Amino acid sequence: MAEPFKRYRCSYCGQEYDEAEGWPDDGIAPGTRWADVPDDWYCPTCGAEKADFEMIEIG
Amino acid sequence: MKIPSDLAHTIVDSKAYAAGDPVDDAFRTIRAEMPLAVAEPEGVEPFWVVSRHADIMAVEKQPEIFHNGDKSTFMTLKESDGMVRFITGGEPNLIRSLVSVDGQEHKDLRAVVFPSVTPKAIRGLEDDIRTIAKSFVAEMLAKAPECDFATDVAFLYPLRVIMTVLGVPQEDEPFMLKLTQELFSSADPELNRDRKEVNPAEALDGLRRTMEDLEAYFGAVTEKFRANPTDQVNSLIANAKINGEYLNHRQLMGYYIIAATAGHDTTSNTTAGAMWALAERPHLLEQIKADPSKVNAFVEESIRWVVPVKHFMRSATLDTELAGQQIKAGDWLMLAYQSANRDEAVFDDPYNYRLDREPNRQIAFGYGAHVCLGQHLARMEMRILWEELLPHLKSIELAGEPKRTISNFVCGPKHVPIRFTLN
Repeated sequence: MAEPFKRYRCSYCGQEYDEAEGWPDDGIAPGTRWADVPDDWYCPTCGAEKADFEMIEIG
Repeated sequence: MKIPSDLAHTIVDSKAYAAGDPVDDAFRTIRAEMPLAVAEPEGVEPFWVVSRHADIMAVEKQPEIFHNGDKSTFMTLKESDGMVRFITGGEPNLIRSLVSVDGQEHKDLRAVVFPSVTPKAIRGLEDDIRTIAKSFVAEMLAKAPECDFATDVAFLYPLRVIMTVLGVPQEDEPFMLKLTQELFSSADPELNRDRKEVNPAEALDGLRRTMEDLEAYFGAVTEKFRANPTDQVNSLIANAKINGEYLNHRQLMGYYIIAATAGHDTTSNTTAGAMWALAERPHLLEQIKADPSKVNAFVEESIRWVVPVKHFMRSATLDTELAGQQIKAGDWLMLAYQSANRDEAVFDDPYNYRLDREPNRQIAFGYGAHVCLGQHLARMEMRILWEELLPHLKSIELAGEPKRTISNFVCGPKHVPIRFTLN
């Protein structure tokens, strides 16, 4: 069974990246896993880098 | 529950912010006993005081419910509110800037400068900023053994950095500093437009005259950069188009003004406050010199400690619930950042200046869609200054009593006299 989608949150502004939704405005398709998001992608709200996102615990 | 009048008065009282402790004491009580309650200081429309870190985050994550621009974006007297609306033709804010607009307009305006201030973009500025830092450090060291760190360094270095980024000539910096201080310090007779005690009407008139000077200055900037575009931020603003149209007059002026004022005053306040903290706590200098990588923690704690923007206001667009309270459409809310940065639920030992907060969840830059556009630049320029300065210093102590600006909005220390020895 596929691993459930996870969400990641920017530690500088709270912007969330949801693997289920991707980020189509930046060409990242729904279902794109965090590991597959390009390393040079940055937070669309504050510009922080991918490394500055933290996984959000679910439940 | 209503906040008792003495506490409500303190959290809007510019002189209480200048004193420091009374505001922290008031917010400590408010957080513990009435963390989301209504204040009704004399002469001010009632507003909710959002005192807890988590509640401020909740508000800022819902910008469609909690608007910036439907009412004044900062705490204002009823009397002043009426006059502002008269001057602006009905708008609640004298300046139509990023902090006072919502929705698509906010997104469009933010996008004009955003690509220039991402961490990746500002990395290209590091060498230039280090050169600026070195020059201010050299000037300070030449003043040994004493200086007023606020007026000699903290006000001037971030000013030079932001004016370089914007494309403002160095000879105009004193003018920009003066107007910035007038804009943010209308209650302080040392810094306001008229350099005297003023009543609310006089204060607003001073602000209006300051605005006129700023608009005259930036009107010429628009002409200059439309004729000869550059990659500097003022040129991006001058030449930006939304749906094929240049920004309108209020958007243009608001953008120039917020970038040229909030772009350095906040960092100046934080830098001055950080030096004040160093001068009172010799162990901090020892810790950073022993482990220079702690400079990042020092910068972050400085921001938490000083909280250069004391609050922003929001207003509800619909009836909603927040932290168990019923908020009605049209209600006005104060996001009390100073309180949130002392919130015991988030920070251990919040009234101590510590370098071991990892992560440091300070919220002085705000959160969500309106998070400070220049936050990464602010961190970088402060880090560079301390990297260049602290290795030269053997000791720092206060050489007199520091003084804070009399203001309840964007403010911090205005004098930090220090005595220092060099290695």
